[in-house]
Amino acid sequence: MTIDTAASMWGEFSAMHAWAIATAAVVAAGCALVGTLLVVRRMSLLGDAISHAVLPGIAVAVLAGGRPGGLLVLVGAVAAALVTVLLVQVLRREGGLADDAGTGVVFTTLFALGVVIITAAASRIDLDPGCILYGILELVPFDTVRVAGWEMPRAFLTGATVLMIVAAGLAATWKEQLFTAFDIDAARAVGLPVAAVTGGLLAATALVTVASFEAVGAILVVAMLVVPAATAELLVRRLHVMALVAMLLGVVAAVFGYLAAWRFDTSAAGMIAVVLGLEYVVAAIVAPEDGVVARVAARLALGWRVTCEDTLALLWRADEAGAGVAPQPFRSPGEWAAGLWLAASGRIAREAGRWGLTAIGRAEAETVVRSHRLWEAWLGRHADLPLDHLHPPAEWIEHHLGADLRRRIEADVGAEESDPHGRSIPREP
Amino acid sequence: MTDSGASACPAVEFHDVTVAYGRRPVLWNIDLVIKAPGLFGILGPNGAGKSTLLKAALGLVPLVGGRVTLFGRPLAEVRSRIGYVPQRETVDWDFPVNVMDVVLMGTYARLGWWRRPGAAERDRARAALERVGLVDLAGRQIGRLSGGQQQRVFLARALAQDAELYFLDEPLAGVDVRSQERIFRVLDDLRREGRLVVVVHHDLRTAADWFDGAALVDMRLVAAGPTAAVLTPENLRRTYAGHIDVLDELGRAVERGGRTA
Amino acid sequence: MNSLAAIPYNTLVVAVAVAVVGFASGVVGCFGVLRRRALAGDAAAHATLAGVVAAFVVTGRRDLPTLLVGAFVAAMASLGCLVVIRRFTRTRDDAATALVLSVSFGIGIVLLSGLSARGIPGAGGLEQFLLGHTAALTATDAITLAVVSAAVVLVVWAGLKEATLVSFDPAFAAATGWPVAVIDYALVALVAAMVVVGLPAAGAVLVTALVVIPPVAARQWTDRVPTMLILAGVIGLVAAVGGVAASAAVPRLATGPTIVLVASGLFAVSFFCAPERGWFARRRGV
Repeated sequence: MTIDTAASMWGEFSAMHAWAIATAAVVAAGCALVGTLLVVRRMSLLGDAISHAVLPGIAVAVLAGGRPGGLLVLVGAVAAALVTVLLVQVLRREGGLADDAGTGVVFTTLFALGVVIITAAASRIDLDPGCILYGILELVPFDTVRVAGWEMPRAFLTGATVLMIVAAGLAATWKEQLFTAFDIDAARAVGLPVAAVTGGLLAATALVTVASFEAVGAILVVAMLVVPAATAELLVRRLHVMALVAMLLGVVAAVFGYLAAWRFDTSAAGMIAVVLGLEYVVAAIVAPEDGVVARVAARLALGWRVTCEDTLALLWRADEAGAGVAPQPFRSPGEWAAGLWLAASGRIAREAGRWGLTAIGRAEAETVVRSHRLWEAWLGRHADLPLDHLHPPAEWIEHHLGADLRRRIEADVGAEESDPHGRSIPREP
Repeated sequence: MTDSGASACPAVEFHDVTVAYGRRPVLWNIDLVIKAPGLFGILGPNGAGKSTLLKAALGLVPLVGGRVTLFGRPLAEVRSRIGYVPQRETVDWDFPVNVMDVVLMGTYARLGWWRRPGAAERDRARAALERVGLVDLAGRQIGRLSGGQQQRVFLARALAQDAELYFLDEPLAGVDVRSQERIFRVLDDLRREGRLVVVVHHDLRTAADWFDGAALVDMRLVAAGPTAAVLTPENLRRTYAGHIDVLDELGRAVERGGRTA
Repeated sequence: MNSLAAIPYNTLVVAVAVAVVGFASGVVGCFGVLRRRALAGDAAAHATLAGVVAAFVVTGRRDLPTLLVGAFVAAMASLGCLVVIRRFTRTRDDAATALVLSVSFGIGIVLLSGLSARGIPGAGGLEQFLLGHTAALTATDAITLAVVSAAVVLVVWAGLKEATLVSFDPAFAAATGWPVAVIDYALVALVAAMVVVGLPAAGAVLVTALVVIPPVAARQWTDRVPTMLILAGVIGLVAAVGGVAASAAVPRLATGPTIVLVASGLFAVSFFCAPERGWFARRRGV
């Protein structure tokens, strides 16, 4: 089956498409679940390697009479995955090879071996090199089995079964997986069977990979393993939430990727990978803490707060210095905007031709000046800095001190009522 | 090659230097002047930012505030007068180079682009190896040396730079006693030749014997000056008892762009 | 296409060109391996497919230089994505590599498959860039590949001192005034260039083996960078020529996998038999 005929399979939307989408969704969910652990354990590239390296296992199993999606093929794939991991470890221990170099050697070799076996035995194997690389999701509904009276695609049955096995296995050992992922040395120290936990994860990787193979191929399965998990990691913090979000993202990508491929008349597996990539890009932009939008917003908010607080502090200091000093609080557009906001919110008011603080503004200004002078006092006491170098850091830190830390600093610098320059420190309002 | 004009300016001057990783400050408002010649120790607890201070001087980490001048000039103008010994763990000792290859790297900056080291460079490298007592091991792959020998290779590479000002990052970490003495004899020679050697060091017991001047650092500069005046019980208490919880909390608030509790 | 094999001149030129490509890949790959970034080139390699197809769509031409320029642009773009992800997100490096690799390959498959579905003439052969197919190379194409490879080798050799310094000790290099980032990016760009040049021989999926396996094998035999470069080049050359010869002799055997298997065989020999670092030598030594 070549890529041309695959693309020409598109027709009217029908039950066939629904089965294909369902198949893509179950394999995507299984991959995302396993991928979450791979990503947090920095084993993404091992997932990549395994997805390539199962090929010779599948090829040999098929040569030995296994059916694609059958039990023998699953066993062959898991065996090939374990061989990959073992070889990388042997190369590291016996040859001193760095993991990335070892991985690069092993998976390219095994994948090449798989391709050669398949092409050499092409007359006896119903596997196509193109199918190996990018799968033929569109053809999945044509190979069906009958289970309890239901006619369903073989790939769906395999995918759903593997998803259930893997989900049950990981749910049962989630605590151990979490501990091992977080701190493998501590897990080993408290007597967790770390090797078994890791081995189980790798076997799960091999299972979901081979279950996805027919639908999306060796390389795009990497996208299903890694991308949803990497996207979820940008959005949420806790591991089990991350796994659920990743699975959801995987399913969404499977549905919309398939539909987009149908619409644009192209490869469904490829389109699912593209949708996964788009999900990642969107997450990187809108993620609540580290997203581009959140970061820009936080920077703008800080700049705004600093301008407002500096304006209040300027007016307060002018009052402290005594009458006759007319401060020039608004020299730039940003300061004008801040001034308008401060006036509108009742923090400053214009009186007798000059700007002054209201009661609310005064209290807030005192907090800023108090932070400033407390920090100068702290630096004067704990850091070896000349007197004239105390002001610039305090000008910066005054915007970051909270009430609790101010009280602790006050207790630390002692009963001094004045800063190192001899000016009095305002009390906490 | 020593520039007599250099004595007019302090060899190293930190002016209100603040360094952050990401946006979280790890070194706060460092003000420090070190004059040549001498052997100067930067001391403090683990994670205090001692190495970061060296890296700030060498332009290896970006400053969020302040500036560093060396011999009264910006770093870029005086790089050729500065030698550097990084921490031993920062490189891959399985790398396929031998001792001579590494020491020759000290001559690369002066060679400039494309030119290969010639006989003159080899002579300089061999002289440097002689000073650290490793000339017999010139052809050995660097992974087959002891920790002390590896550290001496790094020192030899710095010697091959023929600098006026040396920065050494933990040159005695994991080093046997013999190498330790050898290293300090070389550093002592450098001082007597009129150069300044700035050393990040973690062992307070040996510091008083070896260093003319010292700085105590714990995310901020606690004290600096002649070693005896710096290593007072009060200063040590202030360095090691730590007020970094305050700086740590503040650092996280600055990183978020918010306030502490 | 097999009729081309009957013309001795063309076969000879292709063989020589593939030898040069193999040599250059081995040489350039050394710094990727030494810098512990062996798999960054793989992301670039998988992205080349999208570049090849996009170049065909945009220009409507399918001569090799046009397609390879497209591949190089895509390879550099994928490496740019890696830099952006590292700089602006929390995603770990390994996940970023896998992400860029698989998504860019997905884009390539979408383009390729969409093109075939629309029955655009001339698009069918683009599939050969997946697993490599040297028999389709013309003498002119082959000479182009050889010239680019030779130029890449010359650049690496000229900058050997700088590349070694930056790969071994980037902190020292930066402290002594070398533009470490520039040299780093130049090395990565050279790897990307070799991945692209190796594409017609080994294909997008396996071309990374050409820049990984020969250096890793060469490292077993020597403790010096210049020797390692030359050895890696020779191993890459033997693998490339051996692979091309074997795939020409056996029908239906794709070139890429065959080249990789020859290289793997040479690695296995190096792993077991090298003096000092080899498995047998270690067993005897301990």
